[in-house]
Amino acid sequence: MPLPPASGTGRYFVKAAKSIRLIRQGCTNRPFYHISVTHRRRLNSQAVIEQLGSYDPMPNTNNEKLVALNLERIKFWLGQGAHVTNPVGELLGLAGFFPIHPRSYMTAWRNRRTERENQAKAEKSTESTTTEV
Amino acid sequence: MSLLKLVQNNTKSAFFRCNEPKIFLISSRKLSIVPSIYDGEDPAPKFFSSGIQILLKRLTRPDFAKVFRKRNNSNISVLRTPKYKFVTDEELRMEKLKADKSADRLLQMPPVVKVHKPIDDVLSIDPALIGYDSAKYLFTDISFGVDNEHRTIIERDPDGTLRSCDHAERKRLNQGRKIREPLIFQDEEKFHSLLDRLQYEYVLDRACVQYEPDEPTYHKLTSITYQHIDLKSMYDLLRSTRHFGPLAFYLTWHKSVDNLMLELLQSADVREAVLLLALRQALHGDLSSGEESSALVSQILPTPVQLTKKEQLSEEDIQLDTKCIECVDKYINTNSAMKSQQGLALQGFREHYQQLVELSRGLKKAHGAA
Repeated sequence: MPLPPASGTGRYFVKAAKSIRLIRQGCTNRPFYHISVTHRRRLNSQAVIEQLGSYDPMPNTNNEKLVALNLERIKFWLGQGAHVTNPVGELLGLAGFFPIHPRSYMTAWRNRRTERENQAKAEKSTESTTTEV
Repeated sequence: MSLLKLVQNNTKSAFFRCNEPKIFLISSRKLSIVPSIYDGEDPAPKFFSSGIQILLKRLTRPDFAKVFRKRNNSNISVLRTPKYKFVTDEELRMEKLKADKSADRLLQMPPVVKVHKPIDDVLSIDPALIGYDSAKYLFTDISFGVDNEHRTIIERDPDGTLRSCDHAERKRLNQGRKIREPLIFQDEEKFHSLLDRLQYEYVLDRACVQYEPDEPTYHKLTSITYQHIDLKSMYDLLRSTRHFGPLAFYLTWHKSVDNLMLELLQSADVREAVLLLALRQALHGDLSSGEESSALVSQILPTPVQLTKKEQLSEEDIQLDTKCIECVDKYINTNSAMKSQQGLALQGFREHYQQLVELSRGLKKAHGAA
């Protein structure tokens, strides 16, 4: 059986529940996500309704993560009642389209905390080595 | 004495133009040229006005042999053999019109616009997002029907600021040119060695491909090239290419037409000299013989483009040319900076022209057509 087109078949059931989510494409150890609208109960390998963008989680040579968003069509599907999953919600919050997701604040806070703890541990270990010596 | 000799005598920095406030120095081996960009006034409305476009097109003197020459770098694998046709006069006229149209297309001038301002608007500041990720996020809006210039491209920095992207990133993301800059544009030595080898067309074509016409690098490179050409007086290399128009515009804008004027007089092209004066008048309006030159332009433009030196002259030609000579003479006496040289050139042309006039009149009499 041929693979369904990744950019979407455009066929959908009007009253069904739909969601905008990340569909993992790419290869082994190299993820690449399509931001697409699909029926909520469908598997990721089944056909999507329409692709609305992409997200590359691996930073490029300039240390940037590239996200493409077809805002016009996202607005359309949101108007048709599509839900948004958490990762896509975070991305849209970072883009300024949605308010910032609480999970983004949480990850940022947790990262800062681990950073501070690591720094404190590093300082303690240097102190202990200097006091030993 | 002349600016040419001054610069060629190994001076460290030649202060070439005094009009622009923002100037940056590039020192090369022998010639030091200070690039000057179109700071201040916007050249675009004047450049695109139809009168000036007509003047510039006429000054490029399109020579179809050069315009339609075989080019080596186009990617056709097999050269097309020339087709010969037997046509009537009417069809010949149609073919000529078609050739004119395609020459126009090939000679379309790269636009002269002012340098774009850097984009710097911050959409939101969220210090609570510091530490979310060490990488920048770049968001592009891929809505249909929006062209690359107007696309929304924004970035979220690791310190939580959401801002619009600057021109460099926009260009990179819109997948325009080669991502890596050619070495000739990065290294000054290589760039100046190319200019010394008189490869102006190659340099200008490459700059057109690599940069947008409203980027500061493009302006810098083109201004250095044009000044180099001006110093060497090698205008002929760019005639009948699409770069001659912007070259003439640049020189006229920065009021350094004297070299070009001298070259035109030495090659016995009084009509184009008058066109150049009219261009200067249209751009700056500070010539005493300004109105005359503009009036003469409307008479010169219908005459065909002069590619080779003329042998036979008709009475209208003689009248037109004498008027042109007077106009140029006035300009030399009032506004020119190279009075002596241009005066000499004009004198030489006058004598040559006198001989030509006598010859044609004599010939006409001899043929009994007086």
